[in-house]
Amino acid sequence: MTKGPVDQIVETLRERAKELHCLYNVHEAVNRPGASQDEVCRALVEAIPPGWQYPTVCWARITLEHAIYEPPRAVPTPWVLRAEIVVAAEAVGAVEVFYTRQMPKADEGPFLKEERRLVNTIAESLGHYVMHRRLQSAASSWQAANESLPTAERAGWWVIIEFLRKTDHQLLSRISRRMINYLCWNGIPDAMALLERFASNVREDSLDENRPLERKSLEYLLALTDDAFRIAAENLSEPEIVTCIEKWIKDDKSGFLIKAVENPGTSLTEITDALARYEQTTITDHDLSRAVQIGLRVSLARRFFADDLDFVNAAKQYLDVRDFHELSGRVIAPPSSRGKLGGKAAGLFLAAQIVRKSTEYADALSGLKIPRTWYLTSDALLDFVEHNHLEDLYNRKYLEIDQIRREYPHIVHIFKNSTFSAEIARGLAAALDEFDERPLIVRSSSLLEDRPGAAFSGKYKSLFLANRGTKGERLAALTDAIAEVYASLFGPDPIEYRAERGLLDLHEEMGVMIQEVVGTHVGHYYLPAFAGVAFSTNEFRWSARITRRDGLLRLVPGLGTRAVDRVSDDYPILIAPGQPGLRVNVTTDEIIRYSPSKVDLIDLDTRRFETVELDALLREVGWEFPAIELIVSKLDEDGVRGPVGFGWDPAHEHGVVTFEGLIERTPFISQMRALLRLLEERLGTPVDLEFASDGKDFYLLQCRSQSSGDVAAPTPIPRDVPDERVIFSANRYVSNGSVRDITHIVYVDPESYRQLPDVSSLREVGRVIGRLNSLLPKRQFVLMGPGRWGSRGDITLGVNVTYSDVNNTAMLIEMAARHGSYVPELSFGTHFFQDLVESSIRYLPLFPGDPHVVFNEHFLRESPSILGDLLPEYAWLSDTVRVIDVPRTADGHVLRILLNADLDEAIGMLAAPAGPVVGAASEPRRELSQAVDEHWRWRLRMAERIAAEIDAPRFGVLAMYVFGSTKNATAGPASDIDLIVHLRGTPDQRAAMETWLDGWSRCLSEMNYLRTGARTDGLLDVHIITDEDIAGRSSYAVKVGAVTDPARLLARYQ
Amino acid sequence: MVSTSKAYNSFEVTQIQFDRIADILNLDAATRDLLRVPMREYHFSIPVHMDDGRVNVFRGFRIQHNDARGPCKGGIRFHPQETVDTVRALAMLMTWKCAVVDIPLGGSKGGVICDPHNLSAREQELICRGWVRQVARNVGPTIDVPAPDVMTTPQHMLWMLDEWEAIHGEKGPGFITGKPVGSGGSLGRTEATGFGLIFTLREALRELGVKVSDTLASVQGFGNVAQYAVRLYRQLGGTVIGVSSWDQVDKVSYFFRKLDGVDPDTLLKITDRFGGIDKDKARGEGYEVLPGDAWIEQEVDVLVPAALENQINGDTVPRIHQRVKVLAEGANGPTTPDADTVLRDRGMFVIPDFLGNAGGVTCSYFEQVQSNTNYYWDKDEVLGKLDLKMTSAFLAVSELARREKLFMRDAAYVIAVSRVAKACKDRGWV
Repeated sequence: MTKGPVDQIVETLRERAKELHCLYNVHEAVNRPGASQDEVCRALVEAIPPGWQYPTVCWARITLEHAIYEPPRAVPTPWVLRAEIVVAAEAVGAVEVFYTRQMPKADEGPFLKEERRLVNTIAESLGHYVMHRRLQSAASSWQAANESLPTAERAGWWVIIEFLRKTDHQLLSRISRRMINYLCWNGIPDAMALLERFASNVREDSLDENRPLERKSLEYLLALTDDAFRIAAENLSEPEIVTCIEKWIKDDKSGFLIKAVENPGTSLTEITDALARYEQTTITDHDLSRAVQIGLRVSLARRFFADDLDFVNAAKQYLDVRDFHELSGRVIAPPSSRGKLGGKAAGLFLAAQIVRKSTEYADALSGLKIPRTWYLTSDALLDFVEHNHLEDLYNRKYLEIDQIRREYPHIVHIFKNSTFSAEIARGLAAALDEFDERPLIVRSSSLLEDRPGAAFSGKYKSLFLANRGTKGERLAALTDAIAEVYASLFGPDPIEYRAERGLLDLHEEMGVMIQEVVGTHVGHYYLPAFAGVAFSTNEFRWSARITRRDGLLRLVPGLGTRAVDRVSDDYPILIAPGQPGLRVNVTTDEIIRYSPSKVDLIDLDTRRFETVELDALLREVGWEFPAIELIVSKLDEDGVRGPVGFGWDPAHEHGVVTFEGLIERTPFISQMRALLRLLEERLGTPVDLEFASDGKDFYLLQCRSQSSGDVAAPTPIPRDVPDERVIFSANRYVSNGSVRDITHIVYVDPESYRQLPDVSSLREVGRVIGRLNSLLPKRQFVLMGPGRWGSRGDITLGVNVTYSDVNNTAMLIEMAARHGSYVPELSFGTHFFQDLVESSIRYLPLFPGDPHVVFNEHFLRESPSILGDLLPEYAWLSDTVRVIDVPRTADGHVLRILLNADLDEAIGMLAAPAGPVVGAASEPRRELSQAVDEHWRWRLRMAERIAAEIDAPRFGVLAMYVFGSTKNATAGPASDIDLIVHLRGTPDQRAAMETWLDGWSRCLSEMNYLRTGARTDGLLDVHIITDEDIAGRSSYAVKVGAVTDPARLLARYQ
Repeated sequence: MVSTSKAYNSFEVTQIQFDRIADILNLDAATRDLLRVPMREYHFSIPVHMDDGRVNVFRGFRIQHNDARGPCKGGIRFHPQETVDTVRALAMLMTWKCAVVDIPLGGSKGGVICDPHNLSAREQELICRGWVRQVARNVGPTIDVPAPDVMTTPQHMLWMLDEWEAIHGEKGPGFITGKPVGSGGSLGRTEATGFGLIFTLREALRELGVKVSDTLASVQGFGNVAQYAVRLYRQLGGTVIGVSSWDQVDKVSYFFRKLDGVDPDTLLKITDRFGGIDKDKARGEGYEVLPGDAWIEQEVDVLVPAALENQINGDTVPRIHQRVKVLAEGANGPTTPDADTVLRDRGMFVIPDFLGNAGGVTCSYFEQVQSNTNYYWDKDEVLGKLDLKMTSAFLAVSELARREKLFMRDAAYVIAVSRVAKACKDRGWV
């Protein structure tokens, strides 16, 4: 009769019962009070065999400190299970279990794996028993020593040495060695002599061939112990020696961890195990000597996060070993992983620990939370690639960008249809178990990301997941998202970005963070009450009373995506935490116009990330919107009426997002301020945070150095610029950044402006500015003028413009020209401040009357103005509005404005276009400008090709010109090629030529897309002129031989 | 405060305008002297303890131009570049504005040189209270009644009222207008300006012998004034073929045309909170989306500029269609002087801005009346009384224009100045 499954189970259970019984007997034997070692061992030899599967053919032997215990007439056989008895890392004996004859094969020879565990456990118990006995005898001899010896000669610590001499030779030898070193570092001559003796001993031994030297040198070292501690006693105080010994013993206990992290071959899994073991010991960081403490922290920080020195430097101060233990529990890694978690994970983890351990802001920040996060190590990507045999991908980055772009959709497809290895899938499943059905965000945490000067903002994907459905569905959605994030590493944009910054050859690996989305359920939506970004230095001050140190918050209701990115059709609420009372927007109209009108959220029904209209959402969910009373203010015909409260009916009444309740009624602002201060102080650099609140708790989502954003970096100010090349300088209210390659200055002369005869002339100035704004090359001109631009007050004190009249400028410069004793107050761009911020138009106030600033009035007032050429109808205003073509006036130089808020200095100077900054070029920049150069060069080449290819006689073409961005070397990836064709032909010829050029236009557009990713609807912008046009200087014929920015004749026609 | 002889000075411009009207009225020298300049000016300093512990001193003033017809009425402006001359000019205009709609009030204006963008709410409150403390004895329900103006809000008015009441030890809601409904404010204020404009338009069309239901109108703007104007005009049977509105995303304005008549309710559903209409949804509703300046060249009977200044100027005035009979100015100063000349020559019937949009100040007067009697009317009562006031004001102006063959804009000025001059004379001042 064959055994049924039930019988098998019963048998297994019977085996387990036998083992447990055996263990019980072993335990009984070693714990019997007063029993000698002999008695214990003999009892064990009896107790062990019944625990084995075949007790009748089984016998046990115990070898312990040269004594052997075994049953009579025992004959060793090959069928043996052996476990060493280890005391203080030293093998002192063994437990062996023999079968007298061959038995059926099981897990380890004839033995079961349970039996392996059993024998190990027995050996371990015996080890403990031996240790216990040694300690007992040491303790009694310590007492004896204390009693028998005069204290002057033998201090208390000597007993520790004696104790170790009996229990742990290895530890004693290590401590002796450290004592010798310690004494030497203290410059004690005797110790140096001792060290020499020790060193020569080792040298002598190591010269010897392969003879084991361990035993001898150990004995020798033990002999040295006496000498070492004798010298110590002569030179050091007793407390000092005790402290040293104590620390060293504890250091020694953490030795396994040091070994694990120091060895570059250790896998992350092994480090995780070592951390767990360390957690079991009762050592705290402070028990370790400072050097070991720091060493451990540094190694762990480097193993888990990054080699970046700034990071490691901060990490070693604020992260302790236990923090890493906590972290390691949520790390998903391939087996034998040597990966890291990446910059984003590092920044957040470090910030969280800094906050947790800070004492000075503890009150304000005690409630701060970090969303639950799991981490996928960077080499999980390698694992993924290997698992799916995608190795070919690695070298794709060196392909032409157009090929990368073409192939990218396929890569995404392949990635999304690939699978993860079993280990990773298991880890993700475990993560999902912990996350439950809360929505998730999968974020990249690349090893290159967030490096200074290379923010990679938004270059790699972050994906929101609704995380709904069965476990299987959720896991599928999660792996899908991770695959997509992985694929983004091979996307054309990041590769181009890396190439521009010289980072292409660095091996890019990417960790992934899987983070719980902070939020609550509102109907079928999931969203936080509010979220945003915070900067510890404010680069966009809207009032002279706000300093850089006051910081800046960008707040939105719902997911923070709308605060992180600049969205053209919506505005976040801006607050300077240091000056929360000073608002950008004051009048009802401003408050409404510049309030967030849309909300990003996760729709749990469609399982998608969505953007919805705030008004509609409020009507739909009303008071269910989390913390609505902190976010929304009541709006009625009397204006904005404070936070909504009792009686407000969202279905019928209006609300406007002001965050008034949050600012006025909660400690939020002081918390933010404390947080920014703390992190800036501790990290030693201005920081840039992302945060969110579910309406109850406040969460930190990201922390990185503020300078990693490209815009906000302070630009070095050159000191050796010749006076004649400086147009202006400033030393008040300066923000960070630079504005380069300015070809035109529009200068409204303050004196002449004030002298205009009537209000309509003043208004005309605003109109001229609006016209120039649409004529001059976008972002290549600056506007300079007196007083408050866009002011609705007295027009005499500021140019009357709206945002649409200035929206193409690179910078708005308000000049507070001193007039008698009166300096006009500047607007700081407040009239359209948020529009300027959202479109990255820089603002700079100038105070020409201040001491120590340069204001080159001569250049601005005396350089030829081309206003009359550009807008002949406004020639009468040419004294007031001056348009200076910088390259024509200044030998091909352009205006470059460098801003450095750290110094509170700015300079506007003439410089060579697109070249390195005088004394201030950074490598990545130069490469960037080369890449930018590529656009116009390619376009000019193509234009020349067209001119060369065109069948001129067939179409009646007399000449071809190029103008605009291609000619001016300013073309961007989406620029078109402006051509002028001088035609003398029939309508048929013209139609044929247009068809021919249209073909080119489409081809070039496609080529351009492949090169740059910029989609255009045809790349050629062809303007046809006739003889009449040239005679009458009408249409685009004005460009031919024009005063300013003339069209360039293409080579074939020259 | 800067003013140079050559620079534009709004007070001088207003004086020149007054001189022209005085010539028409043939006013005597003393009356001219009296009316050319304000009767009283208060200039004072307001020290404020700022949030950071420093003390800032702000300059404040109140200009009372003339109170022959009753207590002065006029706004309080917070502006960093406020000049006394601007405020003087505005105070004088308030006198004329109250007189043209024949409400028993004089004209004043005041302000503080400050930029609320640089001030916390607490600091603004201290400025409001400080302002009242300086002139507490020179303002009040029977002396001079302030109201919100540039960068001041109902909140500012309540702080000022509270301070005034604290100083005088009595309740005096009639001290200030522009208060929120429920705190002494009047119903109907939202509708007042738009409705007031259409009341005068209705009378204008009646005089021209045109039935409202036979007319088409084109409106610039879709803000508060325009929305209520469109609504009432439709109720009267007229057809609005289009409105313009600013597009926040494209940073340009568009004209939304529907030749069989726009429906404000439909448009409001697709309008954001500051009057911007969603152009894609509008197309879906059957509207044509045209460039913003198309409003002026429509073939209609009535043009209603209700958005910005200087919209009808030398450049745009030739584009006005021949069919247009009436220009009803809802905005402030929509027509430039050169365009005005063209309109005059064409014989266009103009409802000038300071008559057309006087519904607002009339409603402020009603608020004051209600506050003084501490009895508040329902909305219909407010709007009914508004109709009465606006209609009779219009009739007086148009009758004068007809009788004296004056352009409507001049007639409105003439009637206003003559009423004030008469009050001064009746009191025996001049």
